[in-house]
Amino acid sequence: MQFKRLISACLALTAIPTLALADSSTRVALIPGGPHPYFAAWEQAGADAAAKFGLGAADYKVPQKWELGLQNQMLESLVTQGYNAFLIFPGDPVGTVAIANELADTGAPVMALAGCLKDPSDAVFCMGTDTGNSAYLGTKELLKELGAGAKIAHFTGFLVDPNTQLRIDAVNKAAEEGGAEVIQVIADIDAPEPAEEKINAYLAAHAADVDGIITTAWVPAVVASSALRKIGDKRIKMVGIDHDEVVLKAIKDGFVHGTMLQNPYGQGYIGSYAADRLRSGCTVKADAPFKSNALTDKFIDSGTVFAGVNDVDDYVGSMQSITNTLFADFESTYLDCK
Amino acid sequence: MSRRFWETDWFGPLMVVVVAVAVVSILNPSFLSPFNIQVLLLAIAVNAMIAFSQMIIIAIGQMNLSVGAIGGLSAIAFAGMMEVWGIPWPIAAILALALGVLAGVANGVLVALTGISAFVITLASLSVYKGVNLGITEAQPFYKIPDVVKGLGNDTFLHPLPWLIIPCVLAALLLWYLLNRLPLGRSILAVGGNEHAAELSGISVRRVVIVAHAISGLLAASAGIMLVGRLQLGQPTIGDDWLILSFAAPVIGGAILSGGHVSVAGTLLGVAIVAIFTQVLVLFNIDPFLVQVVLGVLILWAVGVNRFREVRALKHSAQVAS
Repeated sequence: MQFKRLISACLALTAIPTLALADSSTRVALIPGGPHPYFAAWEQAGADAAAKFGLGAADYKVPQKWELGLQNQMLESLVTQGYNAFLIFPGDPVGTVAIANELADTGAPVMALAGCLKDPSDAVFCMGTDTGNSAYLGTKELLKELGAGAKIAHFTGFLVDPNTQLRIDAVNKAAEEGGAEVIQVIADIDAPEPAEEKINAYLAAHAADVDGIITTAWVPAVVASSALRKIGDKRIKMVGIDHDEVVLKAIKDGFVHGTMLQNPYGQGYIGSYAADRLRSGCTVKADAPFKSNALTDKFIDSGTVFAGVNDVDDYVGSMQSITNTLFADFESTYLDCK
Repeated sequence: MSRRFWETDWFGPLMVVVVAVAVVSILNPSFLSPFNIQVLLLAIAVNAMIAFSQMIIIAIGQMNLSVGAIGGLSAIAFAGMMEVWGIPWPIAAILALALGVLAGVANGVLVALTGISAFVITLASLSVYKGVNLGITEAQPFYKIPDVVKGLGNDTFLHPLPWLIIPCVLAALLLWYLLNRLPLGRSILAVGGNEHAAELSGISVRRVVIVAHAISGLLAASAGIMLVGRLQLGQPTIGDDWLILSFAAPVIGGAILSGGHVSVAGTLLGVAIVAIFTQVLVLFNIDPFLVQVVLGVLILWAVGVNRFREVRALKHSAQVAS
C-alpha cells in the first residue's frame, strides 16, 4: 500500500536530532474536521513525534462526521481527558474560533492545522498547505501542458471547507493569467458518491468541450482519475492533488498529467513538536516570518510540490524533503526558547 | 375499486421525469447519449437501493437514520475481507450482506423490545456502526478490489444498461411483490397505518418491526457493496451523505412519513428525479452553492404535493360520509 510506504519512509524523519528536552506531561490531540484519508498521516506523525520527543501522548482523534458541533464536543471531552495541547483542522474558520479560544484559556497551546482560523483567534499559528498557492501552481502546471486558450474544469471539495473558496479563486487567477478559461467549477464533491455521479455526468456531456481538469480535493482527484481511465481519454490533461494510489497509478499510466503533493505528515509531526516546545516555556517569536492568507496573518506553509510521471516513484522522498527543510530551522525561525 | 392511473402515486413523478428528460435533451442533446444514460442508470441503481432501504422503514411509520452507516460498514467489510483476508468476492459479498442484516436486526430488536423511538435507536446505532467503520479503516480506503467486482460496478451487459441495474430491478420487483402480494407486506403496511389496530388484529408488531429493519439493513448493505464496485475502492466515507436522498426519494414517490403507505414505483421515480436534477445542475453549470438548495426545494415540493393530496382525500371522505 502506498500509504504504508509513505509512513515507513517518514519514520526516517525521526532520525532528525532532538533539539531540546521534551515535557513528558505534554498530551497532544490532533483533531481533523471529520473522517478523511488526507488526515490519516497525522496519526503516524503524532506517534512518531511522541516517541521521538518523549511526549506523554500525541493522539489522533477523528470526529465521526464533518459537523462543527461534533468536533466541538470532542474537543471539550478531550480537555477533561487530560489533553493539554491541540492541533485542530477547523470545522469552520469562524465557528471554531470560540472553542479554540476556550482551549487556549486553559493554558493549552492551540494550532490550526491544514486549514486556518479566521483572525483574531488565540491559535498560536496556522500550519498547512498554502491551498491557494497549491491550486495556483497546479493550474500553472496544467497550463504549461495545454497552453493559452485552454478550457478547463475545476473539481473541488466541501463548500464548508475554509480552503475551498481559496482554491476556486486561485485556479481562476492562474487561468486568467495563462489566458485559459475555467468553464465549470463542480464543488461539494469530496465524498465518493456525489463525486462519482457529478464528475461522470460532466464528462458524459462535456468531455469534448474541455481540454483540462484541475482537481483540488482528495476524493474528486481519485474519482476523476478513474473516470478518465474509464473513458480512455488521454487528450484531456488533468492535474490532481495528494498521493492516493489511484491518482499515482493514473499518472504512471498516462491518464493524469501529475499531482500536487501536500505534507500532512509534516504538519502533524512538526505541530506536535511545536506544541511541546510551547508547553516547555518557548514562546512564538514576535517577529516570526509568518505568511498571510485570506484568513490569518500567522500562517506557516507546510509545503507543496508537483509530482509528474517522472516523480511518482519517489514522491515520498519529495514529501520528506519538504518536512526536513521545514523542521531543520523551525525552532530558530518561529520560536523563542530561552 | 382500482384507482385511475393518473391518481396513482407514481403518475406525478413519472410526468416530472418525462417532462424533465424531454426538456433537458432538447436543451442539451448529449443528455441522451449512451454514456450519459449509463451514468444516469448507475446513479439510479445505487440510489434506489438506498431509497428502498429507508422506504421499508417509512412503511412501518418509523425512520432509520443509520441507513448510511450500515451501508458504509458493509461496504468496507466487503472490501476489507477481500483485501486483508483474501476472501473470494462472492463470499465476501454474502458476509457483508449478512452483516447488513445483522445490523438491521439489532436496530429492530432494540426498537421492538425497548419501545424507544426508532429515531433515537438508529441515531445511536448510526454512531456505533460509523465508529466501528472508522476503527477498522482509520479513514483509509481499501484499494485491492478484484477486477471482476470493478467490472460489475462499471461495465454494461447490454450497452448502455449497466450490471448494477439488475440487483436494483430485482429488489424493486421483490419489494413490490412483498408489499402488494404477501401477508408480511400487508402486515408491514398495517403496522405503519395503525400499530394498535394491527396488534388487535393479531399481527405481531415486534416481529414485523424486526423484519422490516432486517430488510432495510440488507438493502443498505447491497447499496454499499454496489458502491464498492462502482467506485473501485472501499471508501470509509461511503454512506455519509445518504440520509437526505433516502428520505427525499420515497417522499417524492408518494410515501407518507407517518407510515402505512409507500410506493415502490414512486420511490424509483423519485430517485430518477433526484438523479436527473443532479445531472441538470452539472450540465447547465449551476452554481454549486445552489445544489443543496434545489434538493431541499424538491423535497418541500414533494411534501407539499403529498399534503395537498391528503387534504383532498380527507375532504372527499368527509363528503362521502355526509
